[in-house]
Amino acid sequence: MKQQTQQEKLKTIGISFLALGFFPLIWFLFQAILFRELTELISRNLLVVFALIIGSTFVFLLFWGMDKIIKLSPKDNRESLEARMFAGPSLFMISLFLFYPAIRTLYISFKDRYSNDFVGFENYKWAFSDPEMLVTIRNQIIWLVFVVSLVLFIGLIVGWLSDRLNKGEAFFKSIVFMPMAISAVGASAIFKFIYEYRPPPLTQIGIINGIRVSVDRLGTQCMNNRVIDGVFNGFGDPNCLKPIGWLQQRDLTNLPFTENLNPDGFLSSILINLPVNTMLLMVIMIWMFTGFAAVVFSAGIKAIPTEIMEAGQIDGASELRVFRSIVIPYIKSTIIVVGTYMVVTVLKAFDIIYVSTRGDLETNLLAVKMLDEFSKYRNFGRSATVAVLIFVCVLPIIVGTALRERENTQS
Amino acid sequence: MKKPLLVSFLLLTLILGACGGGSLEGEEVTITGALIGSDQDGFRAAFEDFTAETGIIVSYQGSDNFEQEIQIQMESGDTPDFALWPQPGAVVDAATRGYLTPLEDLGIDLDQYQNDFSSYLVGLGVVDGVIYGGANAANLKSIVWYQPAEFDARGYTVPATWDEMIALADQIVADGMNPFCFGMYSNGASGWLATDWMEDIMLRTGDGVDSYDKWVSHDIPFNDPMVKNAATLLSQIMHTENYVVGGTDAIVSTYFGNAQDPMFSKDANGNPGCFMHRQASFITGFWPEGEQAGAGSITTVFPFPSIDPSLPAAALGGGDMWGAFNDRDATKAVAEFMLSAEFYNNVAIRDGNARLSAHTGFDTSLYASPINKILGDTIAAALSANSFRFDASDLMPPEVGAGSFWKEMMNLAVEGPGYIDTALDTVEKSWP
Repeated sequence: MKQQTQQEKLKTIGISFLALGFFPLIWFLFQAILFRELTELISRNLLVVFALIIGSTFVFLLFWGMDKIIKLSPKDNRESLEARMFAGPSLFMISLFLFYPAIRTLYISFKDRYSNDFVGFENYKWAFSDPEMLVTIRNQIIWLVFVVSLVLFIGLIVGWLSDRLNKGEAFFKSIVFMPMAISAVGASAIFKFIYEYRPPPLTQIGIINGIRVSVDRLGTQCMNNRVIDGVFNGFGDPNCLKPIGWLQQRDLTNLPFTENLNPDGFLSSILINLPVNTMLLMVIMIWMFTGFAAVVFSAGIKAIPTEIMEAGQIDGASELRVFRSIVIPYIKSTIIVVGTYMVVTVLKAFDIIYVSTRGDLETNLLAVKMLDEFSKYRNFGRSATVAVLIFVCVLPIIVGTALRERENTQS
Repeated sequence: MKKPLLVSFLLLTLILGACGGGSLEGEEVTITGALIGSDQDGFRAAFEDFTAETGIIVSYQGSDNFEQEIQIQMESGDTPDFALWPQPGAVVDAATRGYLTPLEDLGIDLDQYQNDFSSYLVGLGVVDGVIYGGANAANLKSIVWYQPAEFDARGYTVPATWDEMIALADQIVADGMNPFCFGMYSNGASGWLATDWMEDIMLRTGDGVDSYDKWVSHDIPFNDPMVKNAATLLSQIMHTENYVVGGTDAIVSTYFGNAQDPMFSKDANGNPGCFMHRQASFITGFWPEGEQAGAGSITTVFPFPSIDPSLPAAALGGGDMWGAFNDRDATKAVAEFMLSAEFYNNVAIRDGNARLSAHTGFDTSLYASPINKILGDTIAAALSANSFRFDASDLMPPEVGAGSFWKEMMNLAVEGPGYIDTALDTVEKSWP
């Protein structure tokens, strides 16, 4: 490679400034002014059509123009300039819509409710002392631990078992995968009906309460308000089980079996204080994602060479031993990927809470709390603080994934 | 007081013409708000004659996520011409942050406005002595729903005082039934029904509206003996055995919209699940299909009973308030129209309308359903007598009014009367 002259270097710098700085700026300003004038002149509907046509033409013009300018530079430097040309706009977009908001959120989290004055770490102190925030953080931890581990555990079992099916595997897997196709909002609405409560004399339309009040107890006949042979059968008798507002229970004290438990005992006190509503909301997410995990795991299990499995079986390993010593190590990276995905999904979990309880009765999660602080209490500082907390929780996962990616590419 | 519709429109156009505003034909005015469904249709219909007369196209767009959307729009500067908030606190908030145009700049006759809507209602949209909010609709909360036929069949009479109501409740319990329907679960707002009860009791105990106003502005602490007295009376309803159908479990778990359903369902002996349900006028929209048709005819209301007989009759309510984001000529014309007595004419005559004008000069005989006339008259009378008060929890800082007050009322329902002091102390501590 021949040594570049001073002049050539200068020329390259000048051209890269022209192509990647000055020209896109002119391009942007021209477009902005054009659209500002157009907004005044033509109707909104027409403007949308115009924006689509002109906008795409402009994107073409941008790259065409940048390419023309780069062609003027010395041949040796062209390649790196072209690369920058293609990476530039996306980097610019990412910084505009991702880095800038993230940094600004961090900045706002140190300011007061209307972002007027700096308040130091006041918002962070609030985040770790306010009783409601503490409950929210507690819930987030419960969700992380149980949802992620249960989705992985049940997903693995279902994936392993579906692989053992002789026929109907595709059908079985598509059934299991089905909840994934339902939106979180739809799933929450379905489960809301399952947990539905009506005040006692009314017919219970929730499936759990419907079954509960129909159980004959202590020799009493109980029914969910059915008329049989013209006789009305209800569950008004004190011996019948009462319906329970499942999403409104913060502990188990309303369930009859806890009456006999000793509230001072260590284990039984944990059991009595189990946040039932949070647990039942987690069921929604586990139901939704187990099928997804199972299908991914099943694909991973399929990729295991049959020789290894057969070798294990010939050596006399039990089914469980094969699963533990061959299957698990073989699909370890798949498990990590699904686990990472689940952790991020749980940290972002919003729609389930928003649709079902909206965070009432100690069921809140960070993402909903963030919105509550923004729109309900109109406290932008605290809202930004919650956003930063979520971000900090996701950060190690992003870093971990990036590190693993690098390892993979190096090896 | 009542002017024919046409004359007011002619006057309006004359005034606009005289101002040199020129023709506003074809100008578009946008309004956003939280009204959706049939309320949205009604609100749009209110402008039909106005548009025909002035040529100003008023487009209203409602959203059930309005309060979040308008926050974002205000932050980004992409606002409509008007926003119609379901509570005046948000108007004050927006005005404090400098987004709203004072009514004076919109050419509104402020004395006339105060006269039409009462100085109390107008005062809710004031920041530093400047009027920003335009009153619009009002609703009445101080009402108890009951079925006269069921009362007559059992020889019960409508209670006029709290003691009579308790005596009636005891009578109903003695007859083996439950007197009250009470459900306060509401996604993200659970507990507000109990705060409404507290407010109704506060208005009728202590010094009436005076102590109520002090309570709202935090001139008396939240754990003041007067507030404690109100909480004790509420706890009497919530926690006395058999008073509420389903007990405290039902209070906490029942969605407020389903709370009255037991009243409409009869058991094997033909007894309804409950006899009385204290809830605002909009609950008719949540009734089962069959009951909605005759809303207010079979199931009707009596006023919330008085507690301290020395205090004048008071009314608790809520209402919508709008704020304007600019002072264009078309905006001015729409603002003036929305403050006129005729604004609700087209809304009132609609079937199934549940919205009531807050204008004291409104012709209540226009309401299509008879119950709206009763409610409208009560509101107008209370406004004129300065005994109408707004929902206190809407006026308190959001940390309290939409936070701790609601939450502690839920906790109170669960924990029982022994929790009253803790509940009030917790709310007091959370006051910013």
